[in-house]
Amino acid sequence: MTDQSWAKHVADVLRRNDIRLYATVPDFIVSHVLDELWADPECRVVTTTREEEAVGLLSGAWLAGQRGALLMQNSGLGNCTNALASLNVASRVPLVLVMSQRGDLGEFNPAQVPMGRALTRILDALGIRWIRPTSIAELERQADGVIQLCYVSGQPVAIVLPTELTGGKKG
Amino acid sequence: MSPLTRADATRYLASRLTDEVVVSNLGQASLDLLAIADRPLNCYTFGAMGQCSSIGLGIAIGRPDVRVICLDGDGSLLMNLGSLCTIAAEAPRNYVLMVWDNEVHQTTGGQPTATARRASLVAIARGAGIEKSLEVRTLDELERAVDRILAEDGPLVVVVKVDRGSTTAAFDPDVIGEPARFRKALAAR
Repeated sequence: MTDQSWAKHVADVLRRNDIRLYATVPDFIVSHVLDELWADPECRVVTTTREEEAVGLLSGAWLAGQRGALLMQNSGLGNCTNALASLNVASRVPLVLVMSQRGDLGEFNPAQVPMGRALTRILDALGIRWIRPTSIAELERQADGVIQLCYVSGQPVAIVLPTELTGGKKG
Repeated sequence: MSPLTRADATRYLASRLTDEVVVSNLGQASLDLLAIADRPLNCYTFGAMGQCSSIGLGIAIGRPDVRVICLDGDGSLLMNLGSLCTIAAEAPRNYVLMVWDNEVHQTTGGQPTATARRASLVAIARGAGIEKSLEVRTLDELERAVDRILAEDGPLVVVVKVDRGSTTAAFDPDVIGEPARFRKALAAR
């Protein structure tokens, strides 16, 4: 049985690392985190039309001195791969990516499977450090560290949210 | 009335700037801006084609006290039309999007874009919900548009119809140093 407080833990780890600006193309799983952020008057959430646009927006915000995180489904990684490579990785613009992993354990939609399988290999190909916590305890052990690494290295990092943590989407 | 060139329009805009942020699109817009009016508050972009308007939106959100002027290109904005919807929805008062619209993909050899056919970027911007969207074709019209973008609340979109033609300005490959210089300059402002 999934502990439903995982979403609050994700929101809390982002907020306690001084991230107040969020951009998103919503996803069912990530929406549980968004609910926490939307309810927080200190946080601003911008809904973009495409994940690539969110990468541009949050990169601009960082150049203006604000930390940002992009919340999306893993399919969105495909929509923003070039921007991450040619802007964030190339120009050392840090950005925290938070993405649900569809297409893995318990998936009901075959169309999600190829990107689910490719997800961590795309991140590896870009040299983006990622964590994939399967429990709240693991999230709490790893997430602060990967966010710190993001800003110290000036590189994007990813927090992947697998079915084991979130319960996935049932259809 | 002779048509505007991108370099002339860049030179005119630069002559009116004080402490605004200027975000320039990769390729021609950045090359011209660098050669004509390099300054620490210029944010040149090198990659992520299409994202100039979104990067500027993020800067405008991050620093609402600073006026942000994006210099995009028609080919690049056509890749990211959704950005116009997000600009309209967020409606930052300190945000201006100028588009050098020469109706071709200049950097790749001058292949026509959709604005050479049926598309109107100013109509698309209005349709996205940005009421203050205008198109200019002459230096006189550009002067009046710059009066507005330096004085009025945004968001504004100014589509500047310019001549075709590649810049002869040199490419600066400092993809790490230039954004770092900009970030530092903006933090100090």
